Amino acid sequence: MEIEHDVSSELVIPISYGSSEVIETGKWGFEKPEAAFMTAPCQEVCPAGNPIPQFLYFAGEGRYQEALEAILNENPFPGVCGRVCFHPCEKDCNRIQYDEAVSIHALERRVFDATSSHAPGIPPLSSSVNAKRIAVVGAGPAGLSAACFLRRLGYRVTLFEARKELGGVMRWGIPEYRLPKSIVKKEIKRILQLSIDVKTGVKVGKEFFFRELDRFDAVFLSPGAGSSLSLGIEGEDLKKVWRGGDFLNRINSGGKIKIGKEVIVIGGGNTAMDVARSALRLGSKVTVAYRRTRAEMPAIQDEIHEAEQEGVRFEFLLQPVKISLLKNNKVRVKFQRMKLWGKDRSKRPKAIPVEGSTLTRDADRLIQAVGEGVDLSWIPETVGQNGLIDVNLSLATSHPKIFAGGDAVDQPRTIVTAIGAGKKAAIAIDLYLRGHHPNGVFSRIRVGKRGALSMEAYLSGRNEGTWSQPKEVISYPQLHTLYFEHSQRVEMSKLDRMTALKDFSEVNLGLTREEARISALRCFSCGTCNYCYNCYFFCPEGVVTLDPQRRIRTVDLEHCKGCGTCAKVCPRNGVVMKEAG
Amino acid sequence: MKEFITGNHAVARAVRLCRTPLIAAYPITPQTPIYEKLSEWEASGELKGIMMRTESEHSAMASCIAASLTGVRTFTATSSQGLALMHEMLHFAAGCRVPVVMANVNRLLAAPWGFWADQQDSLSQRDTGWIQLYCENGQESLDTVIQAYRIAEQVFLPAMICLEAFVVSHFMEPVEIPDQVQVDRFLPPLNLPHRFDIDKPGYLVPVVPPELYRKYKHMSQTSMNSVKEIADRVDREFREEFGRGYGIIEPVMLEDAEIVIVTSGSITSTARIAIKTLRGQGHKVGLLKIRLFRPFPVEAIQHSLQGKKKIAVIDRNISLGSGGIFCQELRAALVHSSDHPLTFSYIAGIGGTDVDPEIIEKIALDAMKRGEPVDTPIWIMD
Repeated sequence: MEIEHDVSSELVIPISYGSSEVIETGKWGFEKPEAAFMTAPCQEVCPAGNPIPQFLYFAGEGRYQEALEAILNENPFPGVCGRVCFHPCEKDCNRIQYDEAVSIHALERRVFDATSSHAPGIPPLSSSVNAKRIAVVGAGPAGLSAACFLRRLGYRVTLFEARKELGGVMRWGIPEYRLPKSIVKKEIKRILQLSIDVKTGVKVGKEFFFRELDRFDAVFLSPGAGSSLSLGIEGEDLKKVWRGGDFLNRINSGGKIKIGKEVIVIGGGNTAMDVARSALRLGSKVTVAYRRTRAEMPAIQDEIHEAEQEGVRFEFLLQPVKISLLKNNKVRVKFQRMKLWGKDRSKRPKAIPVEGSTLTRDADRLIQAVGEGVDLSWIPETVGQNGLIDVNLSLATSHPKIFAGGDAVDQPRTIVTAIGAGKKAAIAIDLYLRGHHPNGVFSRIRVGKRGALSMEAYLSGRNEGTWSQPKEVISYPQLHTLYFEHSQRVEMSKLDRMTALKDFSEVNLGLTREEARISALRCFSCGTCNYCYNCYFFCPEGVVTLDPQRRIRTVDLEHCKGCGTCAKVCPRNGVVMKEAG
Repeated sequence: MKEFITGNHAVARAVRLCRTPLIAAYPITPQTPIYEKLSEWEASGELKGIMMRTESEHSAMASCIAASLTGVRTFTATSSQGLALMHEMLHFAAGCRVPVVMANVNRLLAAPWGFWADQQDSLSQRDTGWIQLYCENGQESLDTVIQAYRIAEQVFLPAMICLEAFVVSHFMEPVEIPDQVQVDRFLPPLNLPHRFDIDKPGYLVPVVPPELYRKYKHMSQTSMNSVKEIADRVDREFREEFGRGYGIIEPVMLEDAEIVIVTSGSITSTARIAIKTLRGQGHKVGLLKIRLFRPFPVEAIQHSLQGKKKIAVIDRNISLGSGGIFCQELRAALVHSSDHPLTFSYIAGIGGTDVDPEIIEKIALDAMKRGEPVDTPIWIMD
């Protein structure tokens, strides 16, 4: 006898077509999962506090528009930073401890490049219109960043710039082969679209009296460090001796320059590297003389490396002591040999002379790039100190409504630090005008503990005037690396040396679409959700819902038994179990 | 075409012939060669299905259950401790009415540790609701896998085929490999109803009230009971297609037998030799091989043992505190037959100890001498 099975019936297999939702299994547990997003170390170390895991997530999904918006919320210069930032993010990338760092720098550039054709604008941060007026003096990265954020917070911003064009060091300092002017223009245009009152060719202290700034409710000074420091040695004023800043300025002004066959560059910073590599492109043989060794050079490692690759010669432990003009119209530099001995106040090895050891080098041109100073002649004396504008931690000067940032204050002289300072100043000014003390607020809106602030965090509490605790920084051991696979880092391709040295064409070529996708997907998304679906797949109750498009992760707490599986399987430590309330 | 292969490889070959799309398994001695062979064929592309390497036998069975509920044929193989670990899921498989087919290589259960032939592992799972078939050799193991799918898929119950460690699993013998066309004809592509239907969402294993639970169990028992007839028919159909068959039990020289040896698995082969020797010495000895253990073929056994006076059941297993498990079952099957025979329980081959023809002869002669019932098992200790 064969029995007839009604296999579709609930009465053959125990299946229910009703709903089990009536059973409130959520009441059984003692703990509930909570999204506990943490700050990634890459983001912490970024002076602008770029939301790196967030924009990399979008980039990995090919959602470049959203990736761009994510960066713009914290940093208006992804195109610039994606090219010339010294990218400390990659050094602190957790992935280094697993295999190789994620190509964050190249990906930031990719985000700009992929969206630049339709040039999306920057959304305002605050809907409230504010009648208060703010002056920003100096339109380099710090000034433009401050103007951008202040405008987005609703203020009326007037930007004063002594030169004919905006951009500061981005426009006049960094050569085209590293940072094409078209990129800088695009990013500045995007900022200006926010409707900022721009006064170019107006030097405060000359065409516009400093005291007139008093008409504004607050002032941000970001004049930069535009004057090259002097060597203080004999022969420095010879016509054959140029200052690095002036040289770069002339190159970036588009003028024709003849510098001769052999060039000696003095200095070990980024300006020296820019000068040396520019001189190579003008057809010269270039030697860089630096008074310490390669390890102490303050220039970005990549820049030093690229300069070496391109054929710049380096001579270390040489300090110029005298420059003279030879009859054959060459310059002769007398160098003192140096050695490293002990440490200076900044804990860098100190260079001291080797007694009686000197040598000379001849060249057609000497370009000295040993640092830049700040022109303080137009600023009230009380605001300056040691050749810099004196500010406290919230970038306030001793004058209650004057703030300052960028290269003119005591901070690392990098573009991204200046951008971060612009953001910090915007927040500090906003707090000042709203009558808040910045200290209590800064400690809540910090991105980790290395100085960067989060605009997103600031806005989250701005209306109520209260801010929640900042997120902790996630360390490598907190990741569940079992879920990751090893993969190779992708580097940007570059122009070959011969092509690169022909003219000032951009050397780095960026990542291809596919390289960018693969690179972005390498991000561990430390401390944040990247919709890997681990929690969703492993949840025995099926109570996790994810919506990657709207970036929402929800847990049906009425049915979550609090088993903690989701917390255990989250590769990025984005879920913690908390005692149910 | 015949191939000289082990019992394990015969099982693997059967799984391939059945075009099983989902195999979920975890390796364990002495089952591992099945796992390895299927993996090898998966890699070479000869096996079209997926070899899912799970982290435990418990998960292997859970995977098979879930896959089966999507309407596909599934297979797993295990042994001993692996089967024990699977125990919870065995109940789920039966309760979910999934026709999963499993090969269990009979190995002793720890403690103490060992790898040797012993039916304790599968017999400990007697009451999980699985069909159980015990195979005598590699050929029968191969054929029984194919039959098991035919049976299981008709009644929506899982089926376990058992072959003993090493003596069958690793023993090489010429095995007739059925033609794929014939297997396809015998076992057409599976058309199980899809239990997971996105247009009609449901959830499995709901909480049910006592009466409904009882109803499910009652239905399962009805289905299980029907297996005796279905398995017999499937075996006959198999014989028609392939020219080989085994029956759910196999009577050997029973007509005039005064004493009947009852065996299962590989000991049957040895017993076939022993009874020939005994017959040559003038003893009227018969043999009954039990192939289908769950459901227990009560009617067929009653019929074949009608009028017999003495029965010696050889068990390579023991229910401690009672006796050989096949013997218990047999006694229970015969309890209502009039003039039921004296049934002795012999424990032989435990822990993989050899059961050679002389031992079986000794058992037969011992049983012949006895005139009184013995309630405790008789251990063969040499």
